[in-house]
Amino acid sequence: MSIDGQSINGPATPGAAASSAPALRRAVVVGGNRIPFARSGAAYAKSSNQDMLTAALDGLIARFGLQDERLGEVAAGAVLKHSRDFNLTREAVLGSALSPETPAYDLQQACATGLETVVGLSNKIKLGQIDSAIAGGVDSASDAPVVVSEGLREVILDLNRAKTLPQRLQILSRLRPKDLAPLAPGTAEPRTGLSMGEHQALTTAQWKISREAQDEVALNSHRNLAAAYDSGFFDDLVTPYRGLTRDGNLRADTSMEKLASLKPVFGRSLGADATMTAGNSTPLTDGASTVLLASDEWADARDLPKLAAVVDAEAAAVDFVHGKDGLLMAPVFAVPRLLARHNLTLADIDYFEIHEAFAATVLSTLAAWEDEEFGRTRLGLDGAYGKIDRARLNVNGSSLAAGHPFAATGGRIVASLAKLLHEKGSVDGRPARGLVSVCAAGGQGVVALLESL
Amino acid sequence: MTPAQPVILGDMPSLSKLYVNAAAQAARRRLLGTHDQADLPSETHEVRGVTVDVANLTAYQHLLGETASDVLPAGFIHALSFPVAMSVMNRDDFPLPLLGMIHLRNRVEQRSPVLFTDALDITARVENLRGHRAGTQVDVIAEVRLAGKDDISWHGTSTYLAKGVFLPGIDKPSAAPPKGDFKAPDPTALWQLGVDAGRAYAAVSGDFNPIHLSVLSAKALGMRRSIAHGMYLASRALADVGSVRGDAFIWDVDFDAPVFLPSRVALEIGSEQDESGAWRRSGFVAWNPRSGRRHFSGSVTAL
Repeated sequence: MSIDGQSINGPATPGAAASSAPALRRAVVVGGNRIPFARSGAAYAKSSNQDMLTAALDGLIARFGLQDERLGEVAAGAVLKHSRDFNLTREAVLGSALSPETPAYDLQQACATGLETVVGLSNKIKLGQIDSAIAGGVDSASDAPVVVSEGLREVILDLNRAKTLPQRLQILSRLRPKDLAPLAPGTAEPRTGLSMGEHQALTTAQWKISREAQDEVALNSHRNLAAAYDSGFFDDLVTPYRGLTRDGNLRADTSMEKLASLKPVFGRSLGADATMTAGNSTPLTDGASTVLLASDEWADARDLPKLAAVVDAEAAAVDFVHGKDGLLMAPVFAVPRLLARHNLTLADIDYFEIHEAFAATVLSTLAAWEDEEFGRTRLGLDGAYGKIDRARLNVNGSSLAAGHPFAATGGRIVASLAKLLHEKGSVDGRPARGLVSVCAAGGQGVVALLESL
Repeated sequence: MTPAQPVILGDMPSLSKLYVNAAAQAARRRLLGTHDQADLPSETHEVRGVTVDVANLTAYQHLLGETASDVLPAGFIHALSFPVAMSVMNRDDFPLPLLGMIHLRNRVEQRSPVLFTDALDITARVENLRGHRAGTQVDVIAEVRLAGKDDISWHGTSTYLAKGVFLPGIDKPSAAPPKGDFKAPDPTALWQLGVDAGRAYAAVSGDFNPIHLSVLSAKALGMRRSIAHGMYLASRALADVGSVRGDAFIWDVDFDAPVFLPSRVALEIGSEQDESGAWRRSGFVAWNPRSGRRHFSGSVTAL
């Protein structure tokens, strides 16, 4: 019997005895969809976060036939978010083709937002709380929220509380011309005043990462992303939007010579060797991404693909404020903890997706893992943690080429990696394994382990 | 020397009146010739039952980057005690001209936490008049106790220099100490100080010394531009050291080149642990990232 309401039949409880701790079931990545990422001020200059998230959602819904479906939950977020968008994800769901009875929540963990939505929703699926979910993220550097000054804000709030005309006049008299100037969001870390690029410049110098090595990472990112587009890899991962069919930042024809001609932009005033350019740093970007997650049963019932399982995840944070560790080095600690839990080492991983906030972030991470003393004194190992096979790193390009709309990066990576793992199938008779690593503002990092299905 | 009875001030002295009086005193001394006594007044000034305005405390905490807890930041207590200290330096028998004195050094012992709900007895006195290669220096001692109690919760020593003032009977040190070459380390923080940084700190600290307020008022006193309050810089460094400092600590700062506004100030903060890994001390140093000149340096040490 169908009812015009919401059936009380929820997800089947995994394990018969619901009263004791249930056995965890599997959470799988069905697929993903994103819009091409645009450089800020370009194709999506007038598109809001809600516009882009809804566009990415609708593309996913169309791809997997989810029109009017009531999903378990949708979670997404934006790093640069206006206070009026307090329910950004729910509003995007209401504007999408999903059933309006699909609940949603916003999440914010700086650049790890997108990956954390995947982790949180996968955990709900594993626990049997939901059967299906969409994880995602969006950011617009073009349509960034602008706020009023503290002076004007206090005057407005005090005016609200004032009861008499003389009180109001007295409050208004506090206004100064400079209070009327609007403020755009800054890129500086609140506790240090240093921008993310300046922080990374310090880490870059500390690990003695050369300009040439950084440019090489950038070149590979562009080449790999262009090759992946050319081979059709993104045909079922990206939906064109506002005239863009590929990421606006992609430079298929860039070269070491072109990259070498760029002037350093970070680290110039810090006394360190300045090696970080606009070419080996991610640009400000607009874009959105989504990932469809499900239980095996839910995907099977709809005859949907199952690309990869979300095996496990780990978050870490570092004490960067006084320079004990670099701002973006938290994944250096998260990955060994995650892999140790599964008795794995770097050598057991078939594909690495290390988010290219800056080319030097990737290289500093690798350098720390290869350093004997760091392994001994900071990771508590007998020596260096390990070295990765660079041929397994960011094989379809990463943020340097695609761009980095902060909260959208996690969804981009998870969907691409899941597809890559699925295509790889098995390695030596076991599922192919992929590792995602995303660093974030505030000295944080989230990493996740995926396995092919 | 037996301590004299303190001079009890009925109310917290008004800093603006003290500055006006100091200007008048400077003019008077210019007319009548400089003071040539080399003695400091021995009286202690005291204000009893001082209470804190919580809105002012919150504004201070927000401006300096302190956690907005109910505990008074050590720099806030300095600002609270400053008018009492100024009243001693404003006495007719204080031998140095108050206006234009340079804050050389500051040391605070925060011995126990003070809450904004505590009423406070605040005393101030001056001591240790001595020579300096560029003039004469003096220590201003301020002490803060919970009202009616004997134990000192907060003890501050501010060392000021009256530049170009040489008093009879006080020898100046023969040679300037060698200027250590300062090489800027890698910064851990960068402050962007706007041209209004002095006015903003004046509003929360009550210290409306004209050299901090605007280009014009600073020029009137012979500065080429306004400069940041030393205690603003030191208090921000203290806030940046963070919660690791705990409730009881010693906070030292030595001031070097003034910070002309607006300015960018680079800062390095490093901490030291004892054998058990517990925090022992955080050192800080700040400099101009363009010129490389050192603005101030100091430390916060567990007490």
